[in-house]
Amino acid sequence: MADPQLVDGLKRALSCLPGVGPRSAQRMAFHLLERDREGAQQIVDALSRALERVRRCIRCNSFSEQEMCNICASPKRDASQLCIVESPADMEALEKAAVFGGMYFVLMGHLSPLDGLGPDDIGVDRLLKLVGKNEIKEVILATNLTVEGEATAHFLAELLQQRDIVVSRIAHGVPVGGELEYTDGGTLGHALTGRQEI
Amino acid sequence: MRVEQQSAFVLQARDYRETSLLLEVFTREHGRLGLIAKGAKRAKSPFRGLLAPFQPLRIGWSGKGELGVVTGVEAVSSTLPLAGDRIFFAFYLNELVLRLLHRHDAHQKLFDDYCLSLEGLLVDSGWESILRIFEKRLLAELGYALLLDKTGVRDGELDADTLYRYIPDQGPVPVNGQESQGILLHGSTLKALAAESLQDDESLREAKQLMRSILGIYLNGKPLHSRRLYQQIIAFRNSVAV
Repeated sequence: MADPQLVDGLKRALSCLPGVGPRSAQRMAFHLLERDREGAQQIVDALSRALERVRRCIRCNSFSEQEMCNICASPKRDASQLCIVESPADMEALEKAAVFGGMYFVLMGHLSPLDGLGPDDIGVDRLLKLVGKNEIKEVILATNLTVEGEATAHFLAELLQQRDIVVSRIAHGVPVGGELEYTDGGTLGHALTGRQEI
Repeated sequence: MRVEQQSAFVLQARDYRETSLLLEVFTREHGRLGLIAKGAKRAKSPFRGLLAPFQPLRIGWSGKGELGVVTGVEAVSSTLPLAGDRIFFAFYLNELVLRLLHRHDAHQKLFDDYCLSLEGLLVDSGWESILRIFEKRLLAELGYALLLDKTGVRDGELDADTLYRYIPDQGPVPVNGQESQGILLHGSTLKALAAESLQDDESLREAKQLMRSILGIYLNGKPLHSRRLYQQIIAFRNSVAV
């Protein structure tokens, strides 16, 4: 028996989620329709509310319900330091660690030579405008330590160094509580080249 | 089928499901292939951090058909420390291999050329010449070698100072005024490309135009993302230069 049109449509809609193929989409659709209609309604409500109200913060480019997100609007944050991250998840990780009191800028991606994601796709224009008109003294490049993250950091550093700003890159090396014996070679290499005098 | 300990580089890694990676790998003995690395992004995965471009690897996999499953990964040395713009040039090599090699066709010589080119990008300042020589060897390996040691008309001898038009499938033809097809270049550029020794700006520029036009044919006219990205970056730098 072929699925009714509406069920088919639901499956197709669900398969737009990352990592969800036709089979998982079918499982989700059947589950929602048969076992958890209440849950399905909650998804509908939450999704439509979020779509309606969530937008990009005009300062840091992350998701926000107001024009400016809570962090950017907070008077307690140090506006002279700007930390650049790839995604809102990275920003949240730093916030959870509560180690940084400055402001953020979220690129929403990285330069990706094989997917054709370029400077325009990661909001570089907005970043430069932000840096241009604010009291930022230091920019901390906290893109991921992947090849693409490094390429992105290099590109941004070059643009930012032309202005009167200190540009730094987050350190990388042995994790806290880590034992050298169990640390991979690449990390050890970084730890040694990035060593500090004490 | 189970294969172990193959010299390889990851050309491209994409996220797959929660913690896995979908890889395009270039191996010495088995050519380009697609592999899944299950759980490679988990904190305790033994593959973590290794399955990235420009990391010399020994890799093992099992399975037949289009997608194999990674069974073992070992770093041969640390990741090649490509810095700055060199990363973009190295990605360009990856994209050429991705786009032009068929899966499961072994190209041992090209794999060695790829390794040499990456190493060249680490130390040598002549990155343009490294890219051109790799392109030339890639075309030859695919069976589309350029005609660089004689003209395409009755096997005539090449003259360094003469201007030629390079016609695909025919080769260099002396310019006779009427013909407008093909890429215009000097005999000296053809000779330099044949000898893999591109030195002066003129031969580098002409060789670039030649390669761009010939590769364009085999890429079916579809642009290379890495080249476009680099052009965008250059344009961006120029536009914000103070």
